[in-house]
Amino acid sequence: MSLVEARAVAVRRGRREVVCDVDLAVERGEVVALLGPNGAGKSTLLEALGGIVPVARGDVERSGRTATVLQTPGLARRSVRANVELALAWWGVPRAQRRRRAMQALERMRAEHLARRPAAALSGGERRRVHVARGIAVEPDVLLLDEPFAGLDGETHQALVEDTSSALREAAGAVVVVVHDRADAWALADRVVVMMRGVVAAQGAPRELLAAPPSEEVARFLGYDGRLERDGGVLLTRPAGVVADGPEQGTVTRVIGQEDGVLAEVRLPDGTVRCRFPRPVAVGDTVGVGLGEGVIRFGHGGVPEDR
Amino acid sequence: MTFFGQGLQQAWDLLLHNNAALLQVLVVTLKVAGLSTAIAVVVGVPAGVVLGLGRFRGVGVLRVLANVGLGLPPVVVGVTLALLMFPAAPLGRFHLIFTLRGVYVAQTVLAVPIIIALTSSAVRDVPRSLLDQARAYGASRRALGALATREARVGILAAVIAAVGSGLSEVGAVVLVGGNIEGVDQTLASAALERVNAGDFAGGLAIGILLLALILVITAALTWLQFGNRQEARVKAS
Repeated sequence: MSLVEARAVAVRRGRREVVCDVDLAVERGEVVALLGPNGAGKSTLLEALGGIVPVARGDVERSGRTATVLQTPGLARRSVRANVELALAWWGVPRAQRRRRAMQALERMRAEHLARRPAAALSGGERRRVHVARGIAVEPDVLLLDEPFAGLDGETHQALVEDTSSALREAAGAVVVVVHDRADAWALADRVVVMMRGVVAAQGAPRELLAAPPSEEVARFLGYDGRLERDGGVLLTRPAGVVADGPEQGTVTRVIGQEDGVLAEVRLPDGTVRCRFPRPVAVGDTVGVGLGEGVIRFGHGGVPEDR
Repeated sequence: MTFFGQGLQQAWDLLLHNNAALLQVLVVTLKVAGLSTAIAVVVGVPAGVVLGLGRFRGVGVLRVLANVGLGLPPVVVGVTLALLMFPAAPLGRFHLIFTLRGVYVAQTVLAVPIIIALTSSAVRDVPRSLLDQARAYGASRRALGALATREARVGILAAVIAAVGSGLSEVGAVVLVGGNIEGVDQTLASAALERVNAGDFAGGLAIGILLLALILVITAALTWLQFGNRQEARVKAS
């Protein structure tokens, strides 16, 4: 049985419909990531699932209690532990249990050392950690998180994703998390739902979705940034699927420096691909590339085909 | 300078040699400021929190009215209340005119809008993200109000300071409603006015200096309450 199920849900912001006829069911034990570009309606759908915004059409059925961790980590001017205990009080947890559960949640988020610190003295990453800990502490049937890693530097982001990944599965019956970064979705979720312009454009297990996106638009969003018109169809490539120094000759049109080499955009006779080179290359160089695994093919009308 | 020197000298003499009369005026002044502020806090803080958090129709108009109340001319309030309190007027049966109770009423009428308007403003400064998060975890209205009050406590204490200041220094409404009767409802501010009206400028200045000293002491205590704990928290955090 689904813990939360949206049926043909539409949500309006003012006069604009930002979520249109979305069907989504979240099962017990699942971690679902909502992924999509800015303005796709992810946060609005999450708020509709949590009952924070009303739906204009359709309905949302919830089995059990739903807690929503909003995007901005608003913390009271109290200690970290008092903030978590406050959330437990709002949730209706008896006073006698609050301290123990607050400390457990902070430990799960590796934030127990912050317990006595005033919330006002926390860094951005620490605030996010405490913000997620509050959601974990209440142990809801469904935990909804809206971009819990937004605005963090790379190292803090990575550490928080790793810690959250394990904590979430123990924290709630099911989890829906809005993420902006594809890597976060792969790290956290059993199922990824890609939203575009207010509708669900694709969904599936992360690896399966990446291997077989249902449309060219979804493929581009998932990182397929190379496009070749070949043999009456379209080949889409990712840098991970293009090997350097292969048999096809092309001209470098753009170079982006990276930690271990460069990412080069290479123009071939029938399109452009992006490829990582371990050595420096310059715009105008002629280089060889080859198509490896993970290249997908779309036929006429954007219908996916086997390569 | 001689004039101010005389004022200071008289203030000192008042403190040393006129203890009973001065103490009586001081007690009346503290009663008027304390009681009116206490009633205003009990009435005004919940009203200000509701106005600050409220999302109901007409809340904007109520906020404007509360802010208008900040600028209520004390003389107009005093005249209006006095007219209402005369024996044949609607409030006449309560026998408030020219009594200390009447002065309490007048000063409370002036203090309530101060507390409501400044509390409402302080509550609106509480981060929306915190209040929305509390709602998302199922906080009741009462819990939300308690959270907003606690988070806005610095601003609410500023409202209390403003109301106490108004209570200590108010003249217009107090004189019109109370009659400025020595030994009954005369306050430090109205006593200073009486001295000035009698041509005793140095005496008026002397009472004024005492009043300023009283305001300084009380405001300093309230300001410590307002910011003292936060400084302590900063020290702990660092």
